[in-house]
Amino acid sequence: MTSFALAWRTARRYRARTLLAITGVAVIGALLFDMLLLSRGLLLSFADLLHSSGFDIRVVSTEGLAARLPISGSVRLAEDIRQLPDVEHVLMIRIEPATVRAAGQSPRGISLIGSSDAEQSWRIVQGSALGSPAAVAEACPVLVTRPLAAAFSLRPGSALSINVRPPGVASALPAVDCRVVGVAEFAFAQIDELTAVTTLEAFQRAMGGGAADADLVLVTSKPGAPPGRAIAAIARLRPDLRVYSNEDVVAQFNRNGFAYFRQISLVLSSLTMVFAFLLVATLLTVSINQRLGEIAALRALGIGRPRIAAMLLWESVLLVGAGGLLALPIGEALALVLDRILRQMPGIPERMHFFVFEPRALAIHLTLLAVTAATAAAYPVWLTARLPIAETLRREVLG
Amino acid sequence: MAALAALAMAPAALAADPPSILVSRQLAARARVAVGDVVTLAVDAGGARGRQFRVTGIYEPTPDPMRFTADRLEARLHLPDAIDIAADPADPASREAVSALNVKLADARDARFAPDLMARAPGVVARPTARSATDDPFVVLDRFHVAISIVTMVAGTAFLLALMVIRAEERRETVGVLRLVGISRRTLLASVAIEGLVVAALGAAFGILLAYGSEGVVNRVFQARYDTALVFVRVTPSIAVRAIVVAAPLGVLAGIGASWTLLRRDVLAIFHR
Repeated sequence: MTSFALAWRTARRYRARTLLAITGVAVIGALLFDMLLLSRGLLLSFADLLHSSGFDIRVVSTEGLAARLPISGSVRLAEDIRQLPDVEHVLMIRIEPATVRAAGQSPRGISLIGSSDAEQSWRIVQGSALGSPAAVAEACPVLVTRPLAAAFSLRPGSALSINVRPPGVASALPAVDCRVVGVAEFAFAQIDELTAVTTLEAFQRAMGGGAADADLVLVTSKPGAPPGRAIAAIARLRPDLRVYSNEDVVAQFNRNGFAYFRQISLVLSSLTMVFAFLLVATLLTVSINQRLGEIAALRALGIGRPRIAAMLLWESVLLVGAGGLLALPIGEALALVLDRILRQMPGIPERMHFFVFEPRALAIHLTLLAVTAATAAAYPVWLTARLPIAETLRREVLG
Repeated sequence: MAALAALAMAPAALAADPPSILVSRQLAARARVAVGDVVTLAVDAGGARGRQFRVTGIYEPTPDPMRFTADRLEARLHLPDAIDIAADPADPASREAVSALNVKLADARDARFAPDLMARAPGVVARPTARSATDDPFVVLDRFHVAISIVTMVAGTAFLLALMVIRAEERRETVGVLRLVGISRRTLLASVAIEGLVVAALGAAFGILLAYGSEGVVNRVFQARYDTALVFVRVTPSIAVRAIVVAAPLGVLAGIGASWTLLRRDVLAIFHR
């Protein structure tokens, strides 16, 4: 009989404890799997969000993308970037806090976005786009997010008044009368964010009529353009600005915005590993202590130490392997629940997720469980290797 | 005045009676300044509208869980001094402007203040400093940690149950003998329930001691990693009590559950007869 067959018979003989051990490993394995998904989930989700926007280069005037200042001469810069041979598309964006008023409603603070392109980075869910004939006829056409539409009972055709409140500008700017042309979903909008987007021309009027420079220039490189060449060309155009690729932005996010979840994932992964090890090692050890007579008898029948050791290793592999495989669907289900909890956090874009599957996480999960199975079997193997056969059998018979 | 657009800081020659300034520990270390040094602050790195200040103190910034990954390069100065630096000379109104005003209401529950103020002063946004449950990230993190605890507890219960099953099987013959001499199922169940209770309570107590003992190490590691005075882990009495209150009944149930399969059988069946 092979070592695996011996291990299999033991597992079947002690069915209740085997099932309970597999359950324990499955649950703790699910948690380990989820922590591995969490360790890079937000990062992968953020990268996916960046890539899905269609732009691969971001130009700003300050270090980082979080706190932005207007880019002086942004219109000229955008024109110059458009002339570069590796550039396909350029979009200018300006975001400022603003106050919205609608008839019979209390004013609310919102983010107002001015965009040089009517058709980018959002999906119209009701009404028409900023480039539609109805919108072009308006002096200040706006698209609003669903939360803003719900907060003010807005729909296409509704009127609202917007006051821009740029930080650092002491004088109050006059309100601008705008009309809602559509309701849209924005890629980077938070779940409950009140956001409106309008044309850059209307935004300039809201800013008092002067030239309102963009604070972010988004660039799409031509397909097949060598990576980095457009970035280098833009940096040569304006050495005073910061030019970031999507990878740079993700790396910044990884350094600054993601630390907590990376740390908690590391801590919890380590704890679950220790827990799984203790669980399997304790169960195997207690089980071996109960079966010392049986193992001594097997040895007396001529089954060598290596086969007994292999049997114990197979027992460990059966427990951890079955539990580890069950952990995958349980972990996926648990990840949905945990993701729903964490996505209630303020400031998280609606399309971002904390738990994202990647093959790397699965590979690490399986490797860690294999290591756990091997190390958990080490002590019971050592116990049986130094088992005195005759003395153990005598003790068992007398007992 | 909450922030300056840019802050340049460099040791400078002594000016006549410069105003005082406090700098954060992190900024003092980065700029290599000490109490008594005279520094120049300006709105940009080129030194525009630069003014000299004397460092009169170095402070530890109030730990902020929302910003623990950020470099706390901060300085505190009197409002008129900050306005002197930051106000735009071309805009006289900017000397009258601040970015935020903190207000303490006579009645903290007065919900009319913010809407009234915003209606009277267009362009002003008033909001409470206290976070509501819906916009507090720590409420969400708390829910996340509770969910993780529940999962860990389920795994721990399975672990405990497996151990109790092994223990029950080990004592099959002892239980049979005890039943034969007249000890009732109820008494035997009570004994395993007590055993489960003791194992779970001791396990929980050991866990609490372990958490309490490692608390300092965890805090020191993360405080050094992020250069902050923030406390990351704290084992409070309520957490300790909660751990025991949850673990004890689970131990009892595991003990009874594991033994019930043995005790419900006929005495002879226990001896495989």
